[in-house]
Amino acid sequence: MAVWGSTRLSMGRFKHPGPGFLPFGLGLCLIILSLILIFKNLGGKSSPIPFWPRRSWLRPLLGLLSLAFFAIFINYLGFILTTFIFLIIWMGLIERLRWKTVLFISLGATAGLYLLFVFFLEIPLPTGFLKW
Amino acid sequence: MNEIFGMFQGLINGFGIALTLNNLTFALIGALLGTVVGILPGLGPAATISLLLPLSFKIGDPITSIIMMAGIFYGAMYGGSTTSILVNIPGEAASVVTCIDGYQMALKGRAGPALGIAAIGSFIAGTLGVIGLTFVAPPLAEFALKFGPPEYFSLTILGLLMATLLGGSSILKGLVMIVLGLLLGSVGLDPISGAIRFTWGFFLLQEGVDFVTLAMGLFGVGEILYNLEKEMKTELVTRKISHLWPTLKDWAESKWAIVRGSFIGFFVGILPGGGAVISSLISYAVEKKVSKHPEEFGKGAIQGVAGPESANNSAASASFIPLLTLGIPGNAAIAMIFAALLIQGVQPGPFLIAERADVFWGVVASMYIGNAMLLILNLPMVGMWVQLLSVPYAILAPIIVLFCCIGVYSVRNTVFDVWIMGIFGVFGYLLRKLDFEPGPMILAFVLGPILERSLRQALLISAGSPLIFFKRPISGTLMGFLILFILFQIIMVIRKRKAGKKSESY
Repeated sequence: MAVWGSTRLSMGRFKHPGPGFLPFGLGLCLIILSLILIFKNLGGKSSPIPFWPRRSWLRPLLGLLSLAFFAIFINYLGFILTTFIFLIIWMGLIERLRWKTVLFISLGATAGLYLLFVFFLEIPLPTGFLKW
Repeated sequence: MNEIFGMFQGLINGFGIALTLNNLTFALIGALLGTVVGILPGLGPAATISLLLPLSFKIGDPITSIIMMAGIFYGAMYGGSTTSILVNIPGEAASVVTCIDGYQMALKGRAGPALGIAAIGSFIAGTLGVIGLTFVAPPLAEFALKFGPPEYFSLTILGLLMATLLGGSSILKGLVMIVLGLLLGSVGLDPISGAIRFTWGFFLLQEGVDFVTLAMGLFGVGEILYNLEKEMKTELVTRKISHLWPTLKDWAESKWAIVRGSFIGFFVGILPGGGAVISSLISYAVEKKVSKHPEEFGKGAIQGVAGPESANNSAASASFIPLLTLGIPGNAAIAMIFAALLIQGVQPGPFLIAERADVFWGVVASMYIGNAMLLILNLPMVGMWVQLLSVPYAILAPIIVLFCCIGVYSVRNTVFDVWIMGIFGVFGYLLRKLDFEPGPMILAFVLGPILERSLRQALLISAGSPLIFFKRPISGTLMGFLILFILFQIIMVIRKRKAGKKSESY
């Protein structure tokens, strides 16, 4: 498992003229450390436990996708609609709560967040095509 | 004599600041929030403070927002024990060892005394910790005024290394985290020459990776993605809690554990890289050693609850010392408060006590008050908090993610930052999955600029000779400690190897 991680990490090593002194040293450190990690793991037995047992990657992936949804659509749909749909996706698809509960909580939470951020804290959030 | 008088004077002024209605309210909000996140597993104080960073301007002046964030930090130490005792899941990291004996006590029907002694121990230790903070911080800050760039460099290096050594699983992985954190900290404009580094053409990266974005990604989103994988089930031992007040026998058994825990916590808390988590582990080990009945540990020994719960609270108070006197945060949650101070335009460091006496004494005084509030919140009202555990994570998780999104968005009003946060979220998720601690990374990220500036300034002073770090007395001593630590670790590793080989040959 850590082999995979460290090969991914060992891509470090950047060079820059002048101000790159410290980053260069750090990049070097990173390579050395990663090599030691890889070496250590090559020496040992690779762990028999699969990285993601039994499709457990699905839920984090869906969570991430809904985050991406939020980032893409907030400028078009506006804060309220995006938040509402985000909550429905998350609780309905990922957590598979009952739809009635999902709707109810989504409505409440959206209203609460709106009150908190827009009303009390006066943070300018995108309004989208609905203009509110 | 004069100095001690000055401290009392400062403290009285501090109480004057902390006792204003506004600051009292926010101390209470902080304590409440801290208790809540302490109780809820899967959301720690570091993540919560990071959620509030973008709002810190809205909260008010630096004093008020730091009072609140400090309240969250030490409040979480109170709340964490509740979940450990009743559900056998640590509510937050510093309460891991409380699970061992606390849960056993609950199974035996002694949940009440376990919760009671945890709250009382927390209060005593927290208050002792703040008293220590009151009297240790000012002279230490005075001493730190003598520090130049070489001293700062040695100190940060020492702190970072200690964080990896004390920090947990693998030293090697900790070191990787630190190097990565330092690299991330160097993104953006170079602090001395202004050259642009590692922006890969993204204009918005020129100001560097934003701390709020990184912290929320790593600690907020990363943690939630990781928890999504596991089914979170919280099964309470009991809903009805009675006999909160420990019996005389409980009290006799645990009073010295509380005192020992307080002292252990205080000294571990001061150490750079130390903190609440380690102090509770050490305290548990010590209690087991000094106990006349070590066989009772793991079967519901009250000392196993009292000691660690006291230690983590006094460590939480003590870890404000390096932050407020040296400007060097010792753990992830304190790093968040460090960032909050910077956002508010207050430079934490040896000049803080002299220049912003109001901030220092106001926050210190609020910690006395906050601890008293928490005792009240946690003793009579613990039954109410327990109900919180029945709020399913399914509802909490998306709301926390939304909080992160909106918070990050509001810092610079760009969706770009939400994407960056998402990337850090994935990164944080993978780190947890691969058993890397994100804590040292966030520390290194915060300390990176200090480290780089002091290194390069020191080398300018010495005209390029690295010997400067060893020639100056204070810096030399720190470096001496550093070398001792490294040698000690190497010896330990070699010993372990030898022991391992011996056991193989048998």
